[in-house]
Amino acid sequence: MNVLILLSVFAACLVIGVPIAIALGLSSLAYLFAVGIPFVVMPQKMYAGMDVFVLLSIPGFILAGNLMNGGGITERIIRFANSMVGWIRGGLGLTNVAASMLFGGITGTAVADAASIGSVMIPGMKKAGYPADFSAAITAASSTVGPIIPPSVPMIIVGALSGISVGKMFLAGAIPGILMGLAMMLTAYVIAVRRKFPRQEWLGFKELGRSFVSAFWAISMTGLIIYGLLSGFATPTETAVVASVYAFAVGTFVYRELPIRAVPKILIDSAISSAAILVLVGFANVFAWILVSERIPQAIAASILSITDNRFVIILIINILLLIVGMFMETIAALIILFVPLLTLATAVGIDPIHFATLVVLNLMIGLTTPPVGVCLFICANIARLPLTPVIKAIFPFLLTNIAVLLLVSYIPALSTWLPSVLTK
Amino acid sequence: MQHINLWVTRACRWGVGIAFAVLILAVLVQVIGRTIGVSPVWSEELTRFGLLYLAAFGAGLALVSGDLVNVDVICETLPPPWPRRLRLVSALLVTGLCALLIGPAWKFTSIGVMQTSPALRLRMDFVHASVLILLGSLLIFSLLRVLGMIFNDESGLPSQPEIPS
Repeated sequence: MNVLILLSVFAACLVIGVPIAIALGLSSLAYLFAVGIPFVVMPQKMYAGMDVFVLLSIPGFILAGNLMNGGGITERIIRFANSMVGWIRGGLGLTNVAASMLFGGITGTAVADAASIGSVMIPGMKKAGYPADFSAAITAASSTVGPIIPPSVPMIIVGALSGISVGKMFLAGAIPGILMGLAMMLTAYVIAVRRKFPRQEWLGFKELGRSFVSAFWAISMTGLIIYGLLSGFATPTETAVVASVYAFAVGTFVYRELPIRAVPKILIDSAISSAAILVLVGFANVFAWILVSERIPQAIAASILSITDNRFVIILIINILLLIVGMFMETIAALIILFVPLLTLATAVGIDPIHFATLVVLNLMIGLTTPPVGVCLFICANIARLPLTPVIKAIFPFLLTNIAVLLLVSYIPALSTWLPSVLTK
Repeated sequence: MQHINLWVTRACRWGVGIAFAVLILAVLVQVIGRTIGVSPVWSEELTRFGLLYLAAFGAGLALVSGDLVNVDVICETLPPPWPRRLRLVSALLVTGLCALLIGPAWKFTSIGVMQTSPALRLRMDFVHASVLILLGSLLIFSLLRVLGMIFNDESGLPSQPEIPS
Protein backbone atom coordinates (compact mmCIF):
# COMPACT_ATOMS: atom_id res chain seq x y z
CA MET A 1 0.00 0.00 0.00
CA ASN A 2 2.75 2.46 1.00
CA VAL A 3 4.75 1.63 -2.10
CA LEU A 4 1.61 2.20 -4.13
CA ILE A 5 1.37 5.71 -2.65
CA LEU A 6 5.02 6.31 -3.57
CA LEU A 7 4.59 5.17 -7.16
CA SER A 8 1.21 6.82 -7.80
CA VAL A 9 2.32 10.24 -6.49
CA PHE A 10 5.45 9.94 -8.62
CA ALA A 11 3.44 9.04 -11.75
CA ALA A 12 0.88 11.80 -11.14
CA CYS A 13 3.63 14.40 -10.73
CA LEU A 14 5.31 13.29 -13.97
CA VAL A 15 2.03 13.53 -15.90
CA ILE A 16 1.36 17.12 -14.81
CA GLY A 17 4.89 18.20 -15.72
CA VAL A 18 6.57 18.54 -12.31
CA PRO A 19 10.41 18.37 -12.67
CA ILE A 20 11.49 14.74 -12.25
CA ALA A 21 13.73 15.53 -9.25
CA ILE A 22 10.83 17.23 -7.47
CA ALA A 23 8.46 14.37 -8.40
CA LEU A 24 10.89 11.98 -6.72
CA GLY A 25 10.98 14.26 -3.66
CA LEU A 26 7.20 14.67 -3.41
CA SER A 27 6.51 10.96 -3.76
CA SER A 28 9.17 10.14 -1.17
CA LEU A 29 7.68 12.72 1.19
CA ALA A 30 4.19 11.23 0.71
CA TYR A 31 5.62 7.80 1.55
CA LEU A 32 7.41 9.07 4.68
CA PHE A 33 4.18 10.75 5.79
CA ALA A 34 2.14 7.56 5.21
CA VAL A 35 4.63 5.37 7.06
CA GLY A 36 5.23 7.90 9.84
CA ILE A 37 8.98 8.32 9.35
CA PRO A 38 10.31 11.78 10.40
CA PHE A 39 10.94 14.10 7.44
CA VAL A 40 14.50 14.81 8.64
CA VAL A 41 15.43 11.57 6.86
CA MET A 42 15.03 13.40 3.54
CA PRO A 43 17.78 16.01 3.93
CA GLN A 44 19.99 13.30 5.46
CA LYS A 45 19.56 10.97 2.50
CA MET A 46 19.85 13.81 -0.02
CA TYR A 47 23.15 14.83 1.56
CA ALA A 48 24.40 11.24 1.55
CA GLY A 49 23.42 10.84 -2.11
CA MET A 50 25.26 13.97 -3.23
CA ASP A 51 28.34 13.53 -1.04
CA VAL A 52 29.78 10.71 -3.15
CA PHE A 53 33.40 10.93 -4.25
CA VAL A 54 32.81 9.76 -7.84
CA LEU A 55 30.19 12.47 -8.49
CA LEU A 56 32.91 15.11 -8.06
CA SER A 57 34.03 14.44 -11.62
CA ILE A 58 30.70 15.41 -13.23
CA PRO A 59 31.12 19.23 -13.22
CA GLY A 60 34.68 18.89 -14.52
CA PHE A 61 33.71 16.74 -17.51
CA ILE A 62 30.74 19.00 -18.31
CA LEU A 63 32.97 22.09 -18.11
CA ALA A 64 35.67 20.50 -20.28
CA GLY A 65 33.08 19.65 -22.95
CA ASN A 66 31.51 23.11 -22.85
CA LEU A 67 34.90 24.87 -23.03
CA MET A 68 35.90 22.76 -26.02
CA ASN A 69 32.53 23.39 -27.62
CA GLY A 70 32.92 27.14 -27.11
CA GLY A 71 36.46 26.98 -28.48
CA GLY A 72 35.61 26.15 -32.08
CA ILE A 73 36.03 22.38 -32.17
CA THR A 74 32.78 21.55 -34.00
CA GLU A 75 33.85 22.79 -37.45
CA ARG A 76 37.33 21.25 -37.07
CA ILE A 77 35.94 17.84 -36.13
CA ILE A 78 33.41 17.92 -38.97
CA ARG A 79 36.14 18.92 -41.44
CA PHE A 80 38.33 16.01 -40.32
CA ALA A 81 35.43 13.53 -40.39
CA ASN A 82 34.42 14.79 -43.84
CA SER A 83 37.90 14.35 -45.27
CA MET A 84 37.91 10.77 -43.94
CA VAL A 85 34.52 9.51 -45.14
CA GLY A 86 32.88 12.30 -47.14
CA TRP A 87 33.91 10.74 -50.50
CA ILE A 88 31.75 7.63 -49.92
CA ARG A 89 28.15 7.59 -51.29
CA GLY A 90 26.02 9.44 -48.73
CA GLY A 91 29.27 10.84 -47.40
CA LEU A 92 27.78 13.67 -45.36
CA GLY A 93 25.66 11.14 -43.45
CA LEU A 94 28.79 9.17 -42.65
CA THR A 95 30.61 12.38 -41.76
CA ASN A 96 27.79 13.16 -39.34
CA VAL A 97 28.23 9.83 -37.53
CA ALA A 98 32.04 10.03 -37.50
CA ALA A 99 31.88 13.58 -36.13
CA SER A 100 29.53 12.41 -33.35
CA MET A 101 31.95 9.63 -32.42
CA LEU A 102 34.86 12.10 -32.20
CA PHE A 103 32.69 14.66 -30.41
CA GLY A 104 31.51 11.98 -27.96
CA GLY A 105 35.10 11.48 -26.90
CA ILE A 106 35.19 15.10 -25.81
CA THR A 107 31.82 16.08 -24.36
CA GLY A 108 30.17 12.86 -23.21
CA THR A 109 26.65 14.21 -23.49
CA ALA A 110 24.24 13.38 -26.31
CA VAL A 111 22.31 16.65 -26.09
CA ALA A 112 25.44 18.78 -26.62
CA ASP A 113 26.38 16.55 -29.55
CA ALA A 114 22.94 16.81 -31.19
CA ALA A 115 22.85 20.59 -30.78
CA SER A 116 26.44 21.31 -31.86
CA ILE A 117 26.85 18.85 -34.73
CA GLY A 118 23.21 19.32 -35.76
CA SER A 119 23.43 23.09 -36.09
CA VAL A 120 26.27 22.72 -38.62
CA MET A 121 25.50 19.39 -40.30
CA ILE A 122 21.71 19.53 -40.77
CA PRO A 123 21.66 22.81 -42.76
CA GLY A 124 24.81 21.65 -44.62
CA MET A 125 23.26 18.31 -45.57
CA LYS A 126 20.02 19.97 -46.70
CA LYS A 127 22.01 22.37 -48.86
CA ALA A 128 23.92 19.45 -50.42
CA GLY A 129 20.66 17.76 -51.46
CA TYR A 130 20.02 15.35 -48.59
CA PRO A 131 16.39 15.07 -47.40
CA ALA A 132 15.78 17.12 -44.23
CA ASP A 133 14.18 14.18 -42.37
CA PHE A 134 17.20 11.92 -43.04
CA SER A 135 19.60 14.68 -41.99
CA ALA A 136 17.77 15.25 -38.69
CA ALA A 137 17.33 11.52 -38.04
CA ILE A 138 20.98 10.57 -38.54
CA THR A 139 22.13 13.49 -36.36
CA ALA A 140 19.78 12.47 -33.54
CA ALA A 141 20.65 8.77 -33.80
CA SER A 142 24.41 9.29 -33.93
CA SER A 143 24.40 11.73 -31.00
CA THR A 144 23.61 8.80 -28.70
CA VAL A 145 27.14 7.42 -29.07
CA GLY A 146 28.39 10.44 -27.10
CA PRO A 147 27.65 9.10 -23.61
CA ILE A 148 28.78 5.58 -24.57
CA ILE A 149 32.24 6.50 -25.86
CA PRO A 150 34.26 7.83 -22.88
CA PRO A 151 33.91 10.21 -21.07
CA SER A 152 30.30 9.68 -20.03
CA VAL A 153 28.13 11.26 -17.34
CA PRO A 154 25.76 8.21 -17.13
CA MET A 155 28.79 5.94 -16.63
CA ILE A 156 29.93 8.16 -13.72
CA ILE A 157 26.46 7.82 -12.16
CA VAL A 158 26.72 4.04 -12.55
CA GLY A 159 30.08 4.19 -10.79
CA ALA A 160 28.49 6.15 -7.94
CA LEU A 161 25.59 3.71 -7.64
CA SER A 162 27.51 0.47 -7.86
CA GLY A 163 31.05 1.19 -6.73
CA ILE A 164 32.44 0.00 -10.07
CA SER A 165 35.54 1.98 -11.08
CA VAL A 166 34.66 4.89 -13.37
CA GLY A 167 37.75 4.14 -15.44
CA LYS A 168 36.52 0.56 -16.04
CA MET A 169 33.05 1.84 -16.94
CA PHE A 170 34.52 4.31 -19.44
CA LEU A 171 36.54 1.53 -21.05
CA ALA A 172 33.51 -0.78 -21.11
CA GLY A 173 31.67 1.72 -23.30
CA ALA A 174 34.46 2.15 -25.85
CA ILE A 175 33.90 -0.94 -28.06
CA PRO A 176 30.06 -0.78 -27.96
CA GLY A 177 30.25 2.95 -28.82
CA ILE A 178 32.55 2.34 -31.78
CA LEU A 179 30.36 -0.60 -32.89
CA MET A 180 27.25 1.59 -32.74
CA GLY A 181 28.97 4.28 -34.79
CA LEU A 182 30.19 1.84 -37.46
CA ALA A 183 26.79 0.14 -37.66
CA MET A 184 25.06 3.50 -38.15
CA MET A 185 27.58 4.40 -40.88
CA LEU A 186 26.75 1.13 -42.64
CA THR A 187 23.02 1.83 -42.36
CA ALA A 188 23.51 5.37 -43.69
CA TYR A 189 25.53 3.97 -46.61
CA VAL A 190 22.85 1.39 -47.51
CA ILE A 191 20.13 4.08 -47.39
CA ALA A 192 22.34 6.42 -49.45
CA VAL A 193 22.90 3.80 -52.17
CA ARG A 194 19.20 2.90 -52.32
CA ARG A 195 18.04 6.52 -52.42
CA LYS A 196 20.95 7.73 -54.60
CA PHE A 197 22.21 10.37 -52.19
CA PRO A 198 25.08 12.55 -53.44
CA ARG A 199 28.77 11.94 -52.91
CA GLN A 200 31.67 14.31 -53.09
CA GLU A 201 35.14 14.07 -54.52
CA TRP A 202 37.96 12.53 -52.47
CA LEU A 203 39.70 15.57 -51.02
CA GLY A 204 43.11 13.95 -50.96
CA PHE A 205 45.60 12.93 -48.29
CA LYS A 206 46.83 16.50 -48.04
CA GLU A 207 43.42 17.72 -46.83
CA LEU A 208 43.10 14.63 -44.59
CA GLY A 209 46.43 15.49 -42.98
CA ARG A 210 45.62 19.19 -42.67
CA SER A 211 42.18 18.56 -41.14
CA PHE A 212 43.73 16.04 -38.72
CA VAL A 213 46.32 18.58 -37.59
CA SER A 214 43.55 21.16 -37.18
CA ALA A 215 41.40 18.80 -35.07
CA PHE A 216 44.36 17.16 -33.28
CA TRP A 217 44.24 19.24 -30.09
CA ALA A 218 40.52 18.66 -29.66
CA ILE A 219 40.67 14.91 -30.32
CA SER A 220 43.69 14.59 -28.02
CA MET A 221 41.46 15.38 -25.06
CA THR A 222 39.94 11.89 -25.31
CA GLY A 223 43.46 10.45 -25.11
CA LEU A 224 44.30 12.68 -22.16
CA ILE A 225 41.19 11.50 -20.28
CA ILE A 226 41.83 7.82 -21.00
CA TYR A 227 45.51 8.16 -20.06
CA GLY A 228 44.61 10.01 -16.86
CA LEU A 229 42.28 7.25 -15.77
CA LEU A 230 44.41 4.30 -16.87
CA SER A 231 47.75 5.51 -15.59
CA GLY A 232 46.47 5.43 -12.03
CA PHE A 233 48.09 8.81 -11.52
CA ALA A 234 44.84 10.76 -11.38
CA THR A 235 41.34 10.13 -10.03
CA PRO A 236 38.35 10.73 -12.37
CA THR A 237 37.80 14.12 -10.68
CA GLU A 238 41.40 15.17 -11.20
CA THR A 239 41.29 13.94 -14.81
CA ALA A 240 38.11 15.98 -15.40
CA VAL A 241 39.59 19.18 -13.97
CA VAL A 242 42.88 18.75 -15.85
CA ALA A 243 40.81 18.17 -19.02
CA SER A 244 38.99 21.46 -18.31
CA VAL A 245 42.27 23.33 -17.99
CA TYR A 246 43.45 21.66 -21.21
CA ALA A 247 40.21 22.61 -23.00
CA PHE A 248 40.59 26.21 -21.82
CA ALA A 249 44.21 26.36 -23.02
CA VAL A 250 43.36 24.84 -26.43
CA GLY A 251 40.31 27.09 -26.98
CA THR A 252 42.06 30.26 -25.85
CA PHE A 253 45.68 29.91 -26.90
CA VAL A 254 45.78 27.28 -29.68
CA TYR A 255 42.49 27.76 -31.58
CA ARG A 256 42.05 31.34 -30.30
CA GLU A 257 38.28 31.07 -30.59
CA LEU A 258 37.44 31.07 -26.88
CA PRO A 259 37.42 34.67 -25.60
CA ILE A 260 38.36 34.96 -21.91
CA ARG A 261 35.20 37.01 -21.29
CA ALA A 262 33.08 34.00 -22.36
CA VAL A 263 34.65 31.72 -19.73
CA PRO A 264 32.67 32.88 -16.64
CA LYS A 265 29.36 32.24 -18.45
CA ILE A 266 30.53 28.78 -19.59
CA LEU A 267 31.70 28.03 -16.03
CA ILE A 268 28.39 29.06 -14.50
CA ASP A 269 26.26 27.30 -17.15
CA SER A 270 28.30 24.12 -16.59
CA ALA A 271 27.83 24.47 -12.83
CA ILE A 272 24.06 24.87 -13.25
CA SER A 273 23.87 21.76 -15.47
CA SER A 274 25.88 19.84 -12.87
CA ALA A 275 23.68 21.17 -10.05
CA ALA A 276 20.58 19.89 -11.88
CA ILE A 277 22.13 16.39 -11.98
CA LEU A 278 23.10 16.58 -8.30
CA VAL A 279 19.62 17.70 -7.22
CA LEU A 280 18.22 14.76 -9.15
CA VAL A 281 20.75 12.44 -7.52
CA GLY A 282 19.89 13.83 -4.06
CA PHE A 283 16.11 13.36 -4.33
CA ALA A 284 16.50 10.06 -6.19
CA ASN A 285 18.67 8.75 -3.37
CA VAL A 286 15.72 9.13 -0.98
CA PHE A 287 13.44 7.38 -3.47
CA ALA A 288 15.96 4.57 -4.04
CA TRP A 289 16.44 4.18 -0.25
CA ILE A 290 12.69 3.66 0.12
CA LEU A 291 12.68 1.06 -2.67
CA VAL A 292 15.55 -0.80 -1.01
CA SER A 293 13.99 -0.63 2.48
CA GLU A 294 10.74 -2.00 1.02
CA ARG A 295 12.86 -4.79 -0.53
CA ILE A 296 11.58 -3.92 -4.02
CA PRO A 297 14.80 -5.06 -5.79
CA GLN A 298 14.47 -8.48 -4.17
CA ALA A 299 10.75 -8.60 -5.00
CA ILE A 300 11.42 -7.75 -8.67
CA ALA A 301 14.24 -10.31 -8.84
CA ALA A 302 12.13 -13.01 -7.15
CA SER A 303 9.08 -12.42 -9.35
CA ILE A 304 11.10 -12.57 -12.58
CA LEU A 305 13.16 -15.54 -11.37
CA SER A 306 9.92 -17.36 -10.55
CA ILE A 307 9.05 -17.14 -14.27
CA THR A 308 12.49 -18.02 -15.58
CA ASP A 309 16.10 -18.26 -14.45
CA ASN A 310 17.39 -18.47 -18.01
CA ARG A 311 20.04 -15.77 -18.38
CA PHE A 312 19.27 -15.31 -22.10
CA VAL A 313 15.58 -14.60 -21.37
CA ILE A 314 16.34 -12.37 -18.38
CA ILE A 315 18.68 -10.18 -20.45
CA LEU A 316 15.90 -9.90 -23.03
CA ILE A 317 13.35 -8.93 -20.32
CA ILE A 318 15.75 -6.31 -18.90
CA ASN A 319 16.35 -4.88 -22.38
CA ILE A 320 12.64 -4.64 -23.18
CA LEU A 321 11.89 -3.04 -19.81
CA LEU A 322 14.68 -0.48 -20.19
CA LEU A 323 13.76 0.38 -23.78
CA ILE A 324 10.19 1.09 -22.64
CA VAL A 325 11.40 3.11 -19.63
CA GLY A 326 13.83 5.02 -21.87
CA MET A 327 10.92 6.09 -24.08
CA PHE A 328 9.35 7.98 -21.18
CA MET A 329 12.01 8.75 -18.56
CA GLU A 330 14.99 11.03 -18.35
CA THR A 331 18.25 9.02 -18.46
CA ILE A 332 19.81 9.92 -15.11
CA ALA A 333 16.53 9.54 -13.18
CA ALA A 334 15.85 6.15 -14.79
CA LEU A 335 19.40 5.06 -14.03
CA ILE A 336 19.21 6.01 -10.35
CA ILE A 337 15.81 4.43 -9.79
CA LEU A 338 16.25 1.23 -11.76
CA PHE A 339 19.95 0.39 -11.73
CA VAL A 340 20.20 -1.13 -8.25
CA PRO A 341 16.94 -3.16 -8.45
CA LEU A 342 17.89 -4.60 -11.83
CA LEU A 343 21.51 -5.21 -10.78
CA THR A 344 20.17 -7.48 -8.02
CA LEU A 345 18.37 -9.51 -10.68
CA ALA A 346 21.34 -9.49 -13.06
CA THR A 347 23.85 -10.68 -10.46
CA ALA A 348 21.41 -13.38 -9.33
CA VAL A 349 21.78 -15.01 -12.75
CA GLY A 350 25.53 -14.40 -12.95
CA ILE A 351 25.67 -11.37 -15.27
CA ASP A 352 28.90 -9.39 -14.83
CA PRO A 353 28.11 -5.95 -13.28
CA ILE A 354 30.25 -4.11 -15.87
CA HIS A 355 28.49 -5.92 -18.71
CA PHE A 356 25.11 -5.19 -17.12
CA ALA A 357 25.92 -1.51 -16.54
CA THR A 358 26.99 -1.08 -20.17
CA LEU A 359 23.78 -2.51 -21.54
CA VAL A 360 21.70 -0.38 -19.19
CA VAL A 361 23.42 2.80 -20.44
CA LEU A 362 23.07 1.65 -24.06
CA ASN A 363 19.34 1.06 -23.58
CA LEU A 364 18.74 4.44 -21.99
CA MET A 365 20.76 6.22 -24.69
CA ILE A 366 18.59 4.64 -27.38
CA GLY A 367 15.66 6.11 -25.41
CA LEU A 368 16.96 9.61 -26.19
CA THR A 369 15.84 9.13 -29.79
CA THR A 370 12.50 7.43 -29.24
CA PRO A 371 9.13 9.18 -28.97
CA PRO A 372 7.31 10.40 -26.94
CA VAL A 373 10.24 11.69 -24.78
CA GLY A 374 13.31 11.76 -27.03
CA VAL A 375 15.34 14.88 -26.29
CA CYS A 376 17.79 14.44 -29.18
CA LEU A 377 14.90 13.79 -31.56
CA PHE A 378 13.26 17.08 -30.53
CA ILE A 379 16.50 19.07 -30.90
CA CYS A 380 17.24 17.75 -34.39
CA ALA A 381 13.66 18.11 -35.66
CA ASN A 382 13.75 21.68 -34.39
CA ILE A 383 17.05 22.47 -36.17
CA ALA A 384 15.73 20.90 -39.40
CA ARG A 385 12.47 22.90 -38.99
CA LEU A 386 10.42 19.73 -39.35
CA PRO A 387 7.50 18.29 -37.39
CA LEU A 388 8.38 15.20 -35.35
CA THR A 389 6.53 12.60 -37.45
CA PRO A 390 8.81 12.54 -40.56
CA VAL A 391 11.91 12.49 -38.34
CA ILE A 392 10.48 9.58 -36.32
CA LYS A 393 9.88 7.68 -39.58
CA ALA A 394 13.39 8.47 -40.84
CA ILE A 395 15.08 7.44 -37.61
CA PHE A 396 13.46 3.99 -37.63
CA PRO A 397 16.31 2.20 -39.56
CA PHE A 398 18.88 3.72 -37.18
CA LEU A 399 16.85 2.64 -34.15
CA LEU A 400 16.80 -0.92 -35.50
CA THR A 401 20.56 -0.69 -36.06
CA ASN A 402 21.17 0.50 -32.51
CA ILE A 403 18.92 -2.22 -31.10
CA ALA A 404 20.88 -4.81 -33.13
CA VAL A 405 24.13 -3.52 -31.57
CA LEU A 406 22.43 -3.57 -28.16
CA LEU A 407 21.58 -7.25 -28.65
CA LEU A 408 25.16 -7.99 -29.69
CA VAL A 409 26.48 -6.26 -26.56
CA SER A 410 23.83 -8.02 -24.47
CA TYR A 411 24.76 -11.52 -25.61
CA ILE A 412 28.50 -11.12 -26.15
CA PRO A 413 29.74 -9.88 -22.73
CA ALA A 414 33.34 -9.64 -23.95
CA LEU A 415 32.40 -6.59 -26.05
CA SER A 416 32.08 -4.62 -22.83
CA THR A 417 34.23 -6.57 -20.36
CA TRP A 418 37.31 -7.37 -22.46
CA LEU A 419 38.85 -3.88 -22.66
CA PRO A 420 38.54 -3.11 -18.91
CA SER A 421 39.97 -6.53 -18.04
CA VAL A 422 42.96 -6.07 -20.35
CA LEU A 423 43.77 -2.44 -19.63
CA THR A 424 43.12 -2.30 -15.89
CA LYS A 425 44.65 -4.64 -13.36
CA MET B 1 9.45 41.58 -7.47
CA GLN B 2 11.72 41.75 -10.53
CA HIS B 3 14.25 43.50 -8.33
CA ILE B 4 14.19 40.60 -5.85
CA ASN B 5 14.43 38.10 -8.71
CA LEU B 6 17.47 39.89 -10.12
CA TRP B 7 19.15 40.11 -6.74
CA VAL B 8 18.59 36.44 -5.87
CA THR B 9 19.71 35.30 -9.33
CA ARG B 10 22.87 37.38 -9.07
CA ALA B 11 23.62 36.06 -5.56
CA CYS B 12 23.12 32.44 -6.65
CA ARG B 13 25.26 32.89 -9.77
CA TRP B 14 28.07 34.29 -7.63
CA GLY B 15 27.57 31.43 -5.16
CA VAL B 16 27.66 28.72 -7.81
CA GLY B 17 30.66 30.35 -9.53
CA ILE B 18 32.65 30.60 -6.30
CA ALA B 19 31.78 27.01 -5.31
CA PHE B 20 32.93 25.74 -8.72
CA ALA B 21 36.12 27.82 -8.56
CA VAL B 22 36.89 26.39 -5.08
CA LEU B 23 36.30 22.86 -6.41
CA ILE B 24 38.61 23.40 -9.39
CA LEU B 25 41.36 25.06 -7.32
CA ALA B 26 41.22 22.34 -4.63
CA VAL B 27 41.61 19.63 -7.29
CA LEU B 28 44.47 21.49 -8.97
CA VAL B 29 46.23 21.91 -5.60
CA GLN B 30 45.79 18.15 -5.11
CA VAL B 31 47.27 17.30 -8.54
CA ILE B 32 50.16 19.78 -8.32
CA GLY B 33 50.82 18.83 -4.68
CA ARG B 34 51.06 15.15 -5.58
CA THR B 35 53.37 15.91 -8.50
CA ILE B 36 55.82 17.82 -6.32
CA GLY B 37 55.45 15.44 -3.40
CA VAL B 38 53.52 17.58 -0.89
CA SER B 39 49.91 16.48 -1.21
CA PRO B 40 47.67 18.33 1.27
CA VAL B 41 45.23 16.13 3.20
CA TRP B 42 42.41 18.68 3.13
CA SER B 43 42.03 19.08 -0.64
CA GLU B 44 39.70 16.09 -1.20
CA GLU B 45 37.41 17.26 1.61
CA LEU B 46 37.31 20.82 0.28
CA THR B 47 36.46 19.48 -3.19
CA ARG B 48 33.48 17.59 -1.76
CA PHE B 49 32.24 20.65 0.11
CA GLY B 50 32.65 22.72 -3.06
CA LEU B 51 30.44 20.25 -4.94
CA LEU B 52 27.73 20.35 -2.24
CA TYR B 53 27.62 24.16 -2.36
CA LEU B 54 27.66 24.09 -6.16
CA ALA B 55 24.48 21.99 -5.99
CA ALA B 56 23.04 24.25 -3.29
CA PHE B 57 23.40 27.54 -5.20
CA GLY B 58 22.75 25.98 -8.60
CA ALA B 59 19.48 24.20 -7.72
CA GLY B 60 17.21 27.25 -7.99
CA LEU B 61 18.98 28.47 -11.14
CA ALA B 62 18.51 25.00 -12.66
CA LEU B 63 14.78 25.25 -11.97
CA VAL B 64 14.62 28.64 -13.72
CA SER B 65 16.71 27.56 -16.74
CA GLY B 66 14.83 24.29 -17.24
CA ASP B 67 17.93 22.17 -16.49
CA LEU B 68 15.74 20.42 -13.90
CA VAL B 69 13.98 18.47 -16.61
CA ASN B 70 10.34 17.45 -16.62
CA VAL B 71 8.15 15.28 -18.83
CA ASP B 72 6.11 17.92 -20.66
CA VAL B 73 4.87 15.75 -23.52
CA ILE B 74 1.40 15.40 -21.98
CA CYS B 75 0.80 18.70 -20.22
CA GLU B 76 2.13 20.94 -23.00
CA THR B 77 -0.07 19.31 -25.65
CA LEU B 78 -3.32 20.04 -23.80
CA PRO B 79 -5.50 22.89 -25.10
CA PRO B 80 -4.97 26.33 -23.52
CA PRO B 81 -5.18 27.41 -20.76
CA TRP B 82 -4.33 23.96 -19.30
CA PRO B 83 -0.56 23.98 -19.97
CA ARG B 84 -0.19 27.26 -18.06
CA ARG B 85 -2.45 26.06 -15.24
CA LEU B 86 -0.41 22.86 -14.87
CA ARG B 87 2.81 24.88 -14.86
CA LEU B 88 1.37 26.89 -12.00
CA VAL B 89 0.38 23.71 -10.12
CA SER B 90 3.87 22.34 -10.75
CA ALA B 91 5.50 25.52 -9.37
CA LEU B 92 3.18 25.40 -6.35
CA LEU B 93 4.18 21.77 -5.71
CA VAL B 94 7.88 22.68 -5.82
CA THR B 95 7.21 25.53 -3.36
CA GLY B 96 5.18 23.22 -1.11
CA LEU B 97 7.80 20.46 -1.06
CA CYS B 98 10.62 22.86 -0.23
CA ALA B 99 8.55 24.69 2.41
CA LEU B 100 7.80 21.36 4.11
CA LEU B 101 11.46 20.36 4.05
CA ILE B 102 13.00 23.61 5.30
CA GLY B 103 12.31 22.70 8.96
CA PRO B 104 13.80 19.18 8.70
CA ALA B 105 16.76 20.60 6.75
CA TRP B 106 17.35 23.11 9.57
CA LYS B 107 17.28 20.23 12.07
CA PHE B 108 19.74 18.26 9.93
CA THR B 109 22.00 21.32 9.78
CA SER B 110 21.84 21.72 13.57
CA ILE B 111 22.93 18.09 14.09
CA GLY B 112 26.24 19.04 12.47
CA VAL B 113 27.14 21.44 15.31
CA MET B 114 28.54 18.55 17.31
CA GLN B 115 30.68 17.19 14.47
CA THR B 116 33.80 18.46 12.73
CA SER B 117 35.25 17.35 9.43
CA PRO B 118 38.36 15.17 9.84
CA ALA B 119 40.84 17.12 7.68
CA LEU B 120 39.69 20.75 7.61
CA ARG B 121 38.33 20.67 11.17
CA LEU B 122 35.29 22.52 9.84
CA ARG B 123 32.09 22.40 11.89
CA MET B 124 29.76 20.11 9.95
CA ASP B 125 26.72 22.36 10.34
CA PHE B 126 28.39 24.64 7.76
CA VAL B 127 28.54 21.66 5.40
CA HIS B 128 25.06 20.30 6.21
CA ALA B 129 23.73 23.82 5.55
CA SER B 130 24.29 23.12 1.84
CA VAL B 131 21.05 21.06 1.83
CA LEU B 132 19.24 23.91 3.59
CA ILE B 133 20.51 26.39 0.96
CA LEU B 134 19.59 23.96 -1.84
CA LEU B 135 16.00 23.72 -0.62
CA GLY B 136 15.94 27.46 0.15
CA SER B 137 17.07 28.42 -3.37
CA LEU B 138 14.48 26.09 -4.90
CA LEU B 139 11.83 27.55 -2.60
CA ILE B 140 12.65 31.17 -3.48
CA PHE B 141 12.77 30.63 -7.24
CA SER B 142 9.61 28.51 -7.33
CA LEU B 143 7.79 31.09 -5.17
CA LEU B 144 8.95 33.86 -7.51
CA ARG B 145 7.64 31.82 -10.43
CA VAL B 146 4.26 31.37 -8.71
CA LEU B 147 4.01 35.08 -7.90
CA GLY B 148 5.13 36.04 -11.41
CA MET B 149 2.47 33.80 -12.93
CA ILE B 150 -0.29 35.12 -10.67
CA PHE B 151 0.50 38.85 -10.63
CA ASN B 152 2.61 39.49 -13.76
CA ASP B 153 0.90 37.10 -16.16
CA GLU B 154 4.20 35.26 -16.79
CA SER B 155 4.13 31.99 -18.74
CA GLY B 156 5.98 29.91 -16.13
CA LEU B 157 8.18 28.42 -18.86
CA PRO B 158 11.92 27.99 -18.26
CA SER B 159 14.01 31.01 -19.18
CA GLN B 160 17.68 31.87 -19.38
CA PRO B 161 18.67 34.55 -16.84
CA GLU B 162 19.62 37.78 -18.56
CA ILE B 163 22.07 39.17 -16.07
CA PRO B 164 25.77 38.41 -16.27
CA SER B 165 27.52 37.16 -13.15
